[in-house]
Amino acid sequence: MLKTLLAPFRNTSGLARWILVAGLVITAVFLVFAIFAPWIAPFGFNQVSANGHAFPKMAPPSSEHWLGTNDQFYDILSRVIWGARTEVIVVALSVALAVIIGVPLGLISGFVGGWTDRTLVLLMDALYAFPSLLLAIVFAFLLQGPLGGGILAAALALTAIYIPQYFRVVRSTTVSAREATYVEAARAIGARNGTIMGRYLFGNVIQSVPVIGTLNAADAISTLAALGFLGLGIQPTQAAEWGYDLSRALDDAAAGIWWTALWPGLAIVLLVTGLTLVGEGLNETVNPTLRKRRLRDFVMPTREPSTTLARGEVEV
Amino acid sequence: MSAGSGSLPRYIGQRVLLVIPMILILVTVVFLLLRVAPGDPVTAAVGGKLDPQAIALRRHQLGLDQPLYVQYFEYLKNVVTFNFGHTISDNRPIIDVIRDNGGATLTLTLGAFIFALAIGIPLGLIAGRMRDTAPDVVIRIFGVVTYAAPIFWTGLLLVILVAPTGWPTYDIASPETKFLVHPITHVLLLDCILQGNIPATLDVLQHHLLPCLTLGLLLCGVFIRLVRVNLLQSLQGDYVEAARARGIPEKFVIRRHAFRNALVPVITIIGLQVALTMAGAVLTEKTFNWPGIGNQLVKYLDARDYNAVQGLVTFFAVVVIIVSVLVDIVNAMIDPRVRY
Amino acid sequence: MVATLAACGGGGSGGGATGSGSSFILGTTETVTAMDPAGSYDFGSWNMQYNIFQQLVNIPPGGTTPQGDAAKSCTYQDPKTLTCHLQPGLTFSNGDKLTSSDVKFSFERNIAINDPNGSAVLLGSITDASDPNNPKLASGAIETPDPTTVVFHLNKPDTTFIKVLTTATASIVDEQVFPADKLLPDNKVIGSGPYELSQYKAGEQAVLSANAKYQGAHKPKTDRIFVQYFNDPAPLKQAIASGQVDIAWRTLSPTDLNSLESNSDVNVIRGKGSEFRYWVFDLKTQVGKQLAIRQAVAQLIDRQAIAQKAYDGTVQPSYSIVPPGFAGQKDSFKTKYGSPSVSKAKALLDKAHIQTPITIKLGYTPTHYGPNTVDEANELARELNNSGLFKASVGDAEWEQYQTLYKQGAYDLFILGWYPDFLDADNYLTPFLRDGGFYANGYNNPQVNSLLDQELGSTNPQDREKTFGQIQDIVAQDVPLVPSWNGQNVAVAGKDMTGIAQTLDPTYIFRFWLIGKKG
Repeated sequence: MLKTLLAPFRNTSGLARWILVAGLVITAVFLVFAIFAPWIAPFGFNQVSANGHAFPKMAPPSSEHWLGTNDQFYDILSRVIWGARTEVIVVALSVALAVIIGVPLGLISGFVGGWTDRTLVLLMDALYAFPSLLLAIVFAFLLQGPLGGGILAAALALTAIYIPQYFRVVRSTTVSAREATYVEAARAIGARNGTIMGRYLFGNVIQSVPVIGTLNAADAISTLAALGFLGLGIQPTQAAEWGYDLSRALDDAAAGIWWTALWPGLAIVLLVTGLTLVGEGLNETVNPTLRKRRLRDFVMPTREPSTTLARGEVEV
Repeated sequence: MSAGSGSLPRYIGQRVLLVIPMILILVTVVFLLLRVAPGDPVTAAVGGKLDPQAIALRRHQLGLDQPLYVQYFEYLKNVVTFNFGHTISDNRPIIDVIRDNGGATLTLTLGAFIFALAIGIPLGLIAGRMRDTAPDVVIRIFGVVTYAAPIFWTGLLLVILVAPTGWPTYDIASPETKFLVHPITHVLLLDCILQGNIPATLDVLQHHLLPCLTLGLLLCGVFIRLVRVNLLQSLQGDYVEAARARGIPEKFVIRRHAFRNALVPVITIIGLQVALTMAGAVLTEKTFNWPGIGNQLVKYLDARDYNAVQGLVTFFAVVVIIVSVLVDIVNAMIDPRVRY
Repeated sequence: MVATLAACGGGGSGGGATGSGSSFILGTTETVTAMDPAGSYDFGSWNMQYNIFQQLVNIPPGGTTPQGDAAKSCTYQDPKTLTCHLQPGLTFSNGDKLTSSDVKFSFERNIAINDPNGSAVLLGSITDASDPNNPKLASGAIETPDPTTVVFHLNKPDTTFIKVLTTATASIVDEQVFPADKLLPDNKVIGSGPYELSQYKAGEQAVLSANAKYQGAHKPKTDRIFVQYFNDPAPLKQAIASGQVDIAWRTLSPTDLNSLESNSDVNVIRGKGSEFRYWVFDLKTQVGKQLAIRQAVAQLIDRQAIAQKAYDGTVQPSYSIVPPGFAGQKDSFKTKYGSPSVSKAKALLDKAHIQTPITIKLGYTPTHYGPNTVDEANELARELNNSGLFKASVGDAEWEQYQTLYKQGAYDLFILGWYPDFLDADNYLTPFLRDGGFYANGYNNPQVNSLLDQELGSTNPQDREKTFGQIQDIVAQDVPLVPSWNGQNVAVAGKDMTGIAQTLDPTYIFRFWLIGKKG
């Protein structure tokens, strides 16, 4: 199954491959930030002093604070690096949950059909039509109280929005695949529904998931930043979050203090761009109508006499 | 139109009928989420001033201490009679909120679409035509970056750029314009034109520039990508090969056949972006203090005003659903394969 | 843009005073709940009402003693009886006469309507609340022997009532226009004040025009005022910095204010304010119930550091439960504790045989009081931890949840904020100290209760001030709460605006009639 999952990556070529690679590199950098944050970041994400010496407030970039400090006395470079961890955790959590719930539901719904299918489709369509940010706002609202402005609240908010997307794609692929001959054959030899779905259909439908996954991840980061801007995101004492830092830095820019807003903003742009490039690059290959028609050199076979018959042997 | 099948009216009928259960589901989801969320408009407003008994009295007055299902059926009853009720925090009929502020969101989104299409379509076509060359890469990266940048960041950058020139950076019109122009259609731009007030019209258009450009930049990334993909797909089409085989010069092939086919799905594209546009509008309105529905939504969210948030979110959802149904119908008229 | 000044959008006669056509624009992030005095309890609404309506008495700018406005005078016969004599010949902006029956009507409807957003709670001394769901004006509470005399008979001795009469909830409305049982729509309100409401677009802007029929002492300096409502401070900051609004009042962050100081096109004008930020102890928790611990925190808190680090020095450290500028105020906490001192705090704890370090949980709410609250909470926690005597941790919850949590004992020490309803020290005492205060922290001191009764029932200002002093000293001793800071009343204005410094006082009443624009 891993081979099927990685097929889109291996099929790329040319510029599409370069785009894919660029996106992967950018994403990898942030993943490294996220995983190795405690070792890479010069300070903790809510650290305001070192060696008994308090950090200055809103200090411009210097040798001690490479990206400067913000108005909460935090070191911006550390907040950016730790922020990568927050983004990655939230995004991974929400995409994973959405996939785990959405893909099986889509598979079952597409395969079983009937009233189950119709109800689920209705429900998912209703959710899908919903402006995703609004749903995220309402969820963050809801979850913020009991869970405190935490990572979990943001992740769950994003999960709810993305389940319909996976559901839809998987379901439509399943619906077209289930009439295929090989499925019919499998039924003929007595395979149970579960086996058909698991062994036969799953591999085929799973191909489009990485594309959606990366595009969703990109979207998730934007939504998280937007939640931070609206004051519904993660509190600074619990985690570093780029959207929150950005929203608190917006006023500063007009006062000539550019570093508090630039770095978190740039981080968001870069990571979202990276993920989108990966998704785009994959899309170029997964979507067959986009593949370039390649003209392969075709060599006509030479005319050679068939020696067998020339020897006068007779075919029976 | 479609002579024999009769399936188009049936398709339309089905889509329209489905709208009702969809809206019902959304209304219920929003209601549940808001009611289950902690807090209510009373504690939001006076929690820091009044003692618990006074707070309880006020909640009782507003019916907020009734059991959930009672409140739900009250609400459903009202929705069916199109009575969305009043906001709790400032006693405005919610219909009024939609009526007074809907126009601003409408002109904002239309203006943004104009920018997005004017920038996105040509760029998308160029990128598709010159696939895998430098312009293609630059344009695609531009599209991705404008989509990736947080809209409030872009908005702020534009404001900082423009502020020194004295260009208005917030709101839909100057206070005098708003004072002098009578609300007839409740769409300020239209009202200015209808009353023949040229300076006011120019004032309103001037105020539209920055917010529409900001939201438009966000959307044009999507258009660039989609137009490019559509163009590539049509360029792969057999009819293009056939045209080439017949010896038609390349540029006619592109212009007459491929471009046109690439643009046909644009209506669909626009329709699908409504949800994204609504979300973008909320953030843009907050950034520019634009008096649209998105801004009101944010304000009522802060005040934990259930009625208002329910009503406005439902309105957003209904708009999105209606637009997507319209888009599906148009799609079905153009592409017969869609009607099931 | 000065085409035809034919206003639209309802409200009064729609015109304005004749004059040079001067105008200015004020931007604010406050919201308006209702223009009807019976339907609001918030800054944004009260501010409009102070300019549209008259009250019986007013607090003059920068002063503390009520002066006559619609009334010539209001005086106490005894702590339960207050008599006011109206100015003769007053009219509303629509020509209707203003008499004592309008005054009685105004109070009666305010109490009867009992709007969930309203402020009828302030009129407790004339309310019959025997049926809590159906309050009404207590019978005989307001007597109108003739068209220019109003006599209030209070149901308990209450010498703060005259101050309540200065608030917007006591505005005088026209009984021929306002309904007795419900609120009047916002764009139809009329009053007898210096301005009338020419246009109101909810959530966007309000337009005030000088009232041609106004007879009072506050003659407006400007003919027309545009009030613009902002949803977010960022565009407001942009607008004032670039001159698109003439005045910005409430609420810009400390960073914004400090950066505007260096903007040569505007003035940042700071007046005395009465906003109050304070940390409340939950006396029902293990930590909160121990007096020595509370006193130790009061000994350790470094208010200057908090003001500097969390608020960029834009707030004043507060050393008493009552803010400076209120008659009878004294810095009891400074007298008792002096400067922050770890050794003195340790001594307090040792004397009570309390083991250190003490685990203490601080609580704050991240958005309701502004984004700097988290900075203040972190700073206080740091100060406690650095002393070595405490192990402080910080928890937060959004406003709604926060209110439930702190009442349930989730925090030992939690932060709250307060604005006064009217300018009297009692407004900082009764709501906090009597029977646990509105936040129900469990503090109950019979001595304080009887002192509160004493000051409420005394008409002698010197006696009241002495009693206030005693109460503040007890608070510094018992430490049911720790005062943190008092805010300033700040406005940012273009260099050509006049009169602003005058109106920035602890009442937070923005008196539009004082404001003018040169040139």
